[in-house]
Amino acid sequence: METAVFRLDGVTKRYGDLLALDQVTLDVGVNEYVSFLGPSGSGKTTLLRVIAGFEAPDTGRVFFEGRDITHLPAHERGIGFVFQNFALFPHLTVRQNVGFGLAFGKNPLPAAEVDRRSAEMIAMVGLAGMEDRGVDQISGGQRQRVALARTLAMQPKLVLLDEPLGALDANLRGRMRNELRAIRERLGVTFLHVTGSENEALAMGDRVVVLDRGRIIQSGTSDEIYDTPASPDVAHYLNRFNLFDGTLADGQFRGQFGTVAVPGARRAARDVYAVGYDRMRVLPLSSSADGPKLKATFVASEYLGSSIMNFFEVDGGGVVEMEHHLSLGAPETYAPKQDYLLTWNPEHAIVFGREAR
Amino acid sequence: MSDATASVPRKDNTTRWLLLPGIIWMALFLVTPILMIVYVSFWTQTTFNISSDPTLASWKQFFSSDTYIGSLWTTIRIWLIVLATTFIVGYPTALFVGLLVKSKTLSTVLLVICVIPFWTSFLIRVLAWRPMLGKEGAINIILLKVGIIQQPIEVLLFTELSVIIGMTQIYCVFMVGPIAFMLARIDRNIIEAARDLGAGFGRIFWKIIFPLSLPGVVVGAIFVSVMVLGEFATSGALSGRKVNLLGNIIVTQVGSLKWAMASVVGVILTVVMGIVIAGFLRIVDLKREL
Repeated sequence: METAVFRLDGVTKRYGDLLALDQVTLDVGVNEYVSFLGPSGSGKTTLLRVIAGFEAPDTGRVFFEGRDITHLPAHERGIGFVFQNFALFPHLTVRQNVGFGLAFGKNPLPAAEVDRRSAEMIAMVGLAGMEDRGVDQISGGQRQRVALARTLAMQPKLVLLDEPLGALDANLRGRMRNELRAIRERLGVTFLHVTGSENEALAMGDRVVVLDRGRIIQSGTSDEIYDTPASPDVAHYLNRFNLFDGTLADGQFRGQFGTVAVPGARRAARDVYAVGYDRMRVLPLSSSADGPKLKATFVASEYLGSSIMNFFEVDGGGVVEMEHHLSLGAPETYAPKQDYLLTWNPEHAIVFGREAR
Repeated sequence: MSDATASVPRKDNTTRWLLLPGIIWMALFLVTPILMIVYVSFWTQTTFNISSDPTLASWKQFFSSDTYIGSLWTTIRIWLIVLATTFIVGYPTALFVGLLVKSKTLSTVLLVICVIPFWTSFLIRVLAWRPMLGKEGAINIILLKVGIIQQPIEVLLFTELSVIIGMTQIYCVFMVGPIAFMLARIDRNIIEAARDLGAGFGRIFWKIIFPLSLPGVVVGAIFVSVMVLGEFATSGALSGRKVNLLGNIIVTQVGSLKWAMASVVGVILTVVMGIVIAGFLRIVDLKREL
């Protein structure tokens, strides 16, 4: 990417024996929204802290706007950081929080200019009228906006957000999600967003980078990641696939559901058969069908608003999930502790294997 | 809603019962004694006797005597100096223990080390300064041996200086504790956020760290003030009777059974402490902070 505003080159960081970041290389373009997705301990927060300059990488380089900033202290980087718990100054008002960097930063501005620009930022995040409230007198969502305004007031080219929506309730999360995107598009800044929630990552990022054990295991657009996960681990983190172990041999996958022909498989370190939750079909136990068949006991269902998740337990002890989108019609009801036959169209499965072409 | 209204009277009753032991205790051992001291300060004192006939004699005597007024000023001067020295020594210590030390274990160990002197009795801690500060004490011997001085420094012991040194050492930990506690509560992310916004160390300290530690400073200052204002042992042991605080006067008056004068000084000391504490509480709203 020639317009890369930001570049990581072989960044490695260890804490004692723990390898937090392992040879991470990444280019980020101007005006891009990148989500880092990974389980806790995958190194995503460490990565953000290295980019911000709070931690120095052991090896590797960090470039920003063509400059090597690997050893530049945090405040000289021109990179904004929005903390997970917002890290507002508890003894200051909304206005003082937003204006802090302008008034006491590297290049302090005159008081009138500080006031003007903080007022502008406060209005942009929709908090006009709350300037003189203490930050403990406003709600979680408003605090989030103050944190964002405080960072954006410094006019950074790159904004790092550490699980910015994690501390908000579900309703607010959805609203802030839209708002973050809108604000970013208005200002034309690059956002790097770290999250442990696959929904958030897929919904927000122009690009999603999946991290695991300190390595980037996949990077691509949301639908690329969702439709073609690069490895069983990615499929696992997306939390949208039933994963079955088995063996792949001669174009056939042998698993607990029988032996199924595999049209194409992806290379991976182990043999895994993945079927999306929404690709599962439930049949009565008596029905005879071709293709994969899995006997499973219905356990419970969960109403999610736009769909219903049904949980089945298979004989081996594993849980298989089946998602029914309500837009496709009224859901069937299943009897608890009753056995059913689960099946799917093998063409929709994603297969990983050691002997893949 | 009916639930809430029904539970209010019960909660009120519980509150009353929970408060009762405290109220009885305070009435018996705080309010009554204070009223008693005020009352006794108006009693008539003769050389060998005391009667409850009301008189202002003891009060007039206090305010007309240079010795008594002088000791009031000495008390206030020593209090202010010790407050300053405990703060100057204590704040950096607290900053180190509470904020700069990253490991919680180490900062606990350091706080415990601060408290170790309290394992011995108060008097021993005070008297231990004599062999340190004396004319042939440790400090003079070391300075002589190293060759920094030719004559032993005599002002070290039995002067106001020795009282200040002793009090600073004894009361410093009461300044360190509350400040370190407040500093330890500061979210490290706040400091990183300030740094990320471009603030240098000085700005971060004066705009963020110090204001957030102020409640600790105020609590520490109240601890030190209350103890220093009521002091008599340190000045007695280290000043060679040259420094007379209000506390020393109370001790001598009680020793010679002059209850009325002792009460006058007691009342004045209590009022001074009240003013000092009220003043400190105006600086920060402790209710909000704790």
